[in-house]
Amino acid sequence: MRQAWVKLSLLALCLVVSLATAQAQSDEAFLVYRQKLMQGQGASMGAISQIVKNKLPFSGHIATHAHDINRLSKLIADAFEKKITEGKTDAKPEVWQDWDKFVEAAKKLESESAKLAQIATGGDMAAIGAQVKAVGKSCGGCHKPFRKPKEERFKR
Amino acid sequence: MQRVESFVFLALHVIMIVFLAEAVWGQDLAAIERGKYIFAAAGGCGCHTDLENKGPFMAGGRPIQTPFGKVYSTNITPDLKTGIGRWSTEQFIRAMTKGVGPRGQHYFPVFPYTSFTKMTRRDLVDLQAYLMSIPAIKNKTRPPEIKPPFSWRWGVAMWKWLYFTPGTFRPDASRSSEWNRGAYLAIALAHCGECHTPRNVMGGLKTGMYYAGTVAGPGGELAPNITPDETTGIGDWSIEDVVWFLQTGLKPNGDDVQGSMSELIEQGYAKVSEADLRAIAVYLRSLTPIHNKVEPSK
Repeated sequence: MRQAWVKLSLLALCLVVSLATAQAQSDEAFLVYRQKLMQGQGASMGAISQIVKNKLPFSGHIATHAHDINRLSKLIADAFEKKITEGKTDAKPEVWQDWDKFVEAAKKLESESAKLAQIATGGDMAAIGAQVKAVGKSCGGCHKPFRKPKEERFKR
Repeated sequence: MQRVESFVFLALHVIMIVFLAEAVWGQDLAAIERGKYIFAAAGGCGCHTDLENKGPFMAGGRPIQTPFGKVYSTNITPDLKTGIGRWSTEQFIRAMTKGVGPRGQHYFPVFPYTSFTKMTRRDLVDLQAYLMSIPAIKNKTRPPEIKPPFSWRWGVAMWKWLYFTPGTFRPDASRSSEWNRGAYLAIALAHCGECHTPRNVMGGLKTGMYYAGTVAGPGGELAPNITPDETTGIGDWSIEDVVWFLQTGLKPNGDDVQGSMSELIEQGYAKVSEADLRAIAVYLRSLTPIHNKVEPSK
């Protein structure tokens, strides 16, 4: 009888440990996915900037990159829905405390990037430059309240 | 006849006064415009607006944490009692270039007169003209909360003797005019070194580490290494990257800038002409690369 108890509790312990690790793993996977999503948008933003600041003959590409940002921005709310405040993340707890504002900030990026995609087809470089700044500002509009400052960044 | 003569006399006077007034006023307007540009090139003097608490423009009171205690920025609007409205040109220039107030008091070097001392007289006069044109706000700001012995003003005089070299920027004849313009803008106006250079225990700049970055910047902020070191600085940034960054706050990797630099760009550097930003970039790229990895300590 006693042996059975010991065995059962061992089994229970194993279960708890394995569940806990599974949980940690999945959290980490979520975090990495979010970071990939952000890097994707950053890459498009970097590409647009590279064209504009060097006056490269690819102004026709800008709309495509802006569309990419626009499409990815629609995934932000979904990707961040799961509350994770521990581990290798720069997301502040405010993301979930002020969830509506967070979603609103993502929506702002969605609308500004859509506007850039539209303006970019016109080919007016001054207007494009101004709208790129507006998109950049919407990145900051979410990063400032919801991303940890550089002093507290995790190291990967 | 007498009547006609006196009328002509009067009319001439009126015309003269109008002309004179226009000349003076027109000059002022031009000075204000130039001063506004200087203000932008200095980063928009953001320390003097308590942005976080929605304080009025340039009315001071913004808390700034230093290793020696907390200071509150001063009111630099033209208010006669609580601002700088009563300051003469010479008083303004003395404060900016010597760090000495109208009552002879030494300013703590958190106010970067250590950089502004390099400004030309013309730029200083224009800057004052601009500051006198902004709305006067009555706002008495709090005194500094600095721990002794650093709070002793005579100590500041000692500090100045050790770490402060007053004097206008001197161009380097062996360099291009673009480089010299950039050096003047970066050193005298944009005051990059005040945040991006590490300081010693006395708060003096470590002169061998100019622009090499520090984890202990003003307000406890991390200020990156902006020397052209390939791995720890901005050696992989092109001139265009620097110009674009100062215009938009967007880094080459597509990420946006954080902290007080985003404010400096928005309120100041973004309004500076492309040619001038280019000159700053040229100057920054010419610096000796310093290998110094700036990372949060945790």
